[in-house]
This record gives sequence, C-alpha cells and structure tokens, in this order.
Amino acid sequence: MKRLICGCVFGALFVLLLGQASIAATNRIFVTNERSNNVSVINGSTLEVEATINVGDRPRGIGLSPDGKELYIAASEDDAIKVVDPVSLKLLREFKAGSDPEAFAVHPNGNIYISNEDDAKATVYDPATGRQIIEIPVGLEPEGVAISPDGTQVIVTSESTNMLHVIQVPEHRIVANVLVGARPRAAVFNRAGTLAFATSEISGEVKKVDMRSYKIVAKTKIADDTAKPKDVLLSKDEQRLYVAGGRSNQVLVLDADSMELIKNIPVGKRVWGLAMSKDGERVFTTNGVSGDVSVIDTGKNVVIKTITVGKFPWGVVIDD
Amino acid sequence: MKEEPVMPPATPHPSSPPGHLCRAGKTVKIAVARRILLAFSLFITAGLQYSLAAPQTYRFALVTDRQDDVMSGAEQGISEANLQGRFLDKQYTLSRYASADTGDISGRDYVAILAALPARKVLALAKAFPDHAVFNLTAKSNKLRTLCLPNLLHVIPSDKMYAGARRQWHEKHGKATILVSAWHPDFVKFAARDLNKRYKAAFNKPMDERAWAGWAAVKMTSDHLARDDDDNPAAVLTALKTGLAFDGQKGLSMYFRGNGQLRQILLVEDKSGELLGEAPVRGVAAPNDVDSLGVLSCARERQRDQRVRPPVPDGRTIPIPRR
Repeated sequence: MKRLICGCVFGALFVLLLGQASIAATNRIFVTNERSNNVSVINGSTLEVEATINVGDRPRGIGLSPDGKELYIAASEDDAIKVVDPVSLKLLREFKAGSDPEAFAVHPNGNIYISNEDDAKATVYDPATGRQIIEIPVGLEPEGVAISPDGTQVIVTSESTNMLHVIQVPEHRIVANVLVGARPRAAVFNRAGTLAFATSEISGEVKKVDMRSYKIVAKTKIADDTAKPKDVLLSKDEQRLYVAGGRSNQVLVLDADSMELIKNIPVGKRVWGLAMSKDGERVFTTNGVSGDVSVIDTGKNVVIKTITVGKFPWGVVIDD
Repeated sequence: MKEEPVMPPATPHPSSPPGHLCRAGKTVKIAVARRILLAFSLFITAGLQYSLAAPQTYRFALVTDRQDDVMSGAEQGISEANLQGRFLDKQYTLSRYASADTGDISGRDYVAILAALPARKVLALAKAFPDHAVFNLTAKSNKLRTLCLPNLLHVIPSDKMYAGARRQWHEKHGKATILVSAWHPDFVKFAARDLNKRYKAAFNKPMDERAWAGWAAVKMTSDHLARDDDDNPAAVLTALKTGLAFDGQKGLSMYFRGNGQLRQILLVEDKSGELLGEAPVRGVAAPNDVDSLGVLSCARERQRDQRVRPPVPDGRTIPIPRR
C-alpha cells in the first residue's frame, strides 16, 4: 500500500514536470553544416561535439522555439523546415516552407519568419501545424531575418535589391524599405526595438538605423576589402557590436554608439554565423571554409577554443 | 503653360429660398464664388497629388544590330530594377535602336546608353553623345580602352584581361586548352547561382557573358538611381565613374578604372565549356588582385592633352570630359 501511494505521488510529480511550460535548457550549441547535410551538437560545458544529426539537403538557417522544446532547421534544397527534439535529437516532423528557405527567425509567439531566397518572398509559418500564414513579397534574394524582442517589427534583407524591408506584425504590412549598401545580409535589433544594425557584404558596411524614422543614423565601412560582413550581434549591455567579418577571417568588435572599431578577433576561415550565450559571456562563430566553430570569451574578446564540426558550417543557435 | 479655367457664372445657392434671393443676392454670389474656388483648388491639389504619386521613369537605350543575349540580359536587368522600383516609386524602361538609327536617340531623356556594337561603332556612339554614359557591352579591343574616352564605360573585359587570365592559368595548370569568359551559366559562387537561376527561368537559356554585361550595365545604373533621383545623364555618368560599389554577383565590389574599364574577375572553362575556376588565379596572383589581369593605360598623346584630374576621396581618378 505504501509503495502504491509512493508510486502514485512520484507518478503525479513526473506528469507535472512533463507538463511544464518549458523544459530545462539542454546547454547545447547546434551548428548547421551546409555541405555535409548535418547538424553538429556541441556540449556547452565540455565544448566538444557530442553528436551529429542528419537533417536533409543543404541545411543553413537554424533556430529554437521560444519554449526550447523544438529545434528548427531550414533544409533549403528540400524546401522544408525540419523539426528536431533538442534532447533526444530525433526528427519529430518536417513541413514544406516555400521555395529555397535559407534563413529564418522565430517570433516570440512561436511562428517562424522565413526568407525564401529564390522567390523574392518572406513567408510566415506556424510550426505546430506546418500551415503557411502569409506570404510577403520583398526584394530579390531575401536573406537576413531579424525580429524585434517585442515582436512588433520584422526586418528582412534583400541582398540583390539592397534593402531592409520593415514588416509590421501582426498586420504583416511593409511599413518601410530602407536602402542600404550592396548585398545586405543580416540585421539585429536592440532590446527596445528602437535601433537596428545591418551588415552589407559587398559594400563592406555596417549601418545603424533608427527604427522610428527608418533613417540611417550612423555607418562604418570596414577597411579590409576582402571582409564581407555577415552576422551581427549586440553585446548583452548593448555597448558593443560583434560582426562576422567573412573572408577577413575575423570577428570585428565595434562600439555600438560611435561604430568605431575596438578590436579584431582572428577566428577560422570565412566567418559568417554568430550566436551569443544568454549571459552574454560567449560568442560562437561558424567558420565555413575551415570547417570549425570558434568560441570567444567576450570579457577579454579572445578565442578560448576552436571546435571542428562538419563541412561549411553556416548557422548556429545556443540552447541555454 | 496651363490654361486658366473659365469660371462658370455664379448661380443661386440651392438652399436659399427663392423669396430671399434679391436681398441676399450679393452674399449668395460671394458664397458661391467661395465654393467654386474651393472646388477648383481641390481639383488642382488632386492633380498635383496624382502627378507626384506617379512613379518616376528612367529610360535606357540599347544600340544593337543583333537580337541576342545582350538584349535579354538588359531586359533581365530592367525587370530586377523594376522590382526594386516598386518599393521606391520608380520604373525603368529599355528601348532598342539599330546602329543606323542612333540619331533618333537625341532629346529622348535617356539616362544612359548601352551598346552591343563593334569597336568603331561604339566609339562613334560615345563621341556622338558625350554627356551620356555609353556602356560598351561587347567590344574587347584594347585600343578602345587606351583612348580613355571620358564617357565610355567598358563592362566587358579587354582582350588584355582575357590574355592575362589565360597566362595566369597556364602558369599554374600547364598548357591545357582553355576558354576565358566574363560569366558562366554554371558559376554558383557569390550569388551567381541566384542570378543564373533567375535568368534561366525568365529566358529559358543559359546566361552568357553578353547577357551578364547587359544585365550589369542596367543594374549598376538602377542601383545608383535608387539612391539618387537625379536623372541628368551627366550626373549619372559622374556617379558611375566615381561612386560605384557594384555587386555584380561576382563577389567583389566593382568599380571602373580611370580608363573606363570595369574591374572584375574572369572565369576559366575547358574546351567543352565546363567551368574550371577563376582568375586572378590563386597561387599565381594575390587573391582578388584583379589589377593583375591586364591594366591598360591611356595612350600618350591623350595624356598630354588632359588637364589635371581632381583627386576623388578614395584615390581613384577620372578624366575630365572635353568641352
């Protein structure tokens, strides 16, 4: 009888825990490898690859659901988003996501905003059902997608049309189109959603946009002609910008206010992807040509470890 | 000059009862006149709003005696410019002329002229329209570059650049038979894949260097016009020569040299047309050192005549148009 009661209590507790709104973070870093068609799973404590998941053809964009229960991967040659359990690493399901989904961002409400490279469109999907909510025509070669923390604004960059398209949510109306330097690749909002920073690969620029007037208020040009800036992040205190410097093989640290260069951090070859830990202490970079990930300590702005992953690592997301 | 509209005669206000017309006659006339004036000014404002809301149109002329890939490339450029133009209230058009009919180009407000012609005809065209940017899309003659005409912009590489690419390739890879081109339909790097895909989908044929040149000339001009409304051809020419940072989907920020040549990488293919690689050739030249591919300087006699060129902020120099 005692055992039965104990068992019931344990059972009830177990069920309660399962039913929690979100699960404990896995403390893993997930990296898409564009040309080996898999995802490397890095242990956040040991900083070693502990598993590899096969995820379909040409995986690039990667992201987590707001509750941390699902990992999304855009497999662009499969025209699909793959949904993986970040704990068991099993493929849960997949859904078709328009033509050539490359990059995406996950909205606080759980919906996914995808740039469809081939189609001059951005599409919005409900990942629970795989249903397309809306299609928004944008410029040619849409790539970067950034969502303001309050979810009211989405920026989609169109690389060949040289614009940032600002989409108002939930109306899904384009409210502004900001002309920037040639081949804009990525953007990031500040926490208040009042500023955005965007990189342009061919013009080698980083621009600061006032998101109330949609005017460019500051810019900096990276002197190195080979640098093709891609991902951009704000430090936790929003004082610094981290910019992936492409073929200059460095991460550039800029002052977010003056946009001046503070430091160059040498990393692997052709650095494109960046992700920052929640505590702001680490930045992970994907170095496509050298096939590795650099781990940067943001306190000292130095690389503390380099981790070999698959072929042409592209996107990175941290589950912490 | 707009005609002054004729004011219709004053009529009694419909709400005024007829019995009061005589006494209130003057007041009625003023009230009616006011309403007519209001209607008139609303009409004018509406007209202005309409003309302000109509997109600004930019026209290109293409001079060619062949209906070929240069034309489809330019058309691809126009359709991409118009896609961007949707967000900016701008539109772009292309008109084709035979080389015998270039007299018809005058006075038609073209922002720039594209030419797919033999060298001597391109030269004549550039001389006939000294205030317009004339894009040389197909003539590879070195001499055309050394003439350093102020308004002649060479999108296609020069013979010397092709020879330089061949020489670099052979230095690294032995004497295999190769072809050099400014574009290749199987090129996938630097978003070339996207451009090749779009062109193929639109025209049902692979994109070659002639099509790429037509596309590039339109695209670089529309990229500039997206940021700067001024459609004065002389202003467009100056901007193209001094401020260009063009993403031609070949991976580097492209601009024109002092002699009017667009700096760019070239592509190497084997004799069956299969893509082998790029020039400048890694190991022979520094990566991205496109100036290793055959730079032509201006001919001596011309240099003597030229006035001192003003320096431009990034150190590139341009010749001053002759007056």
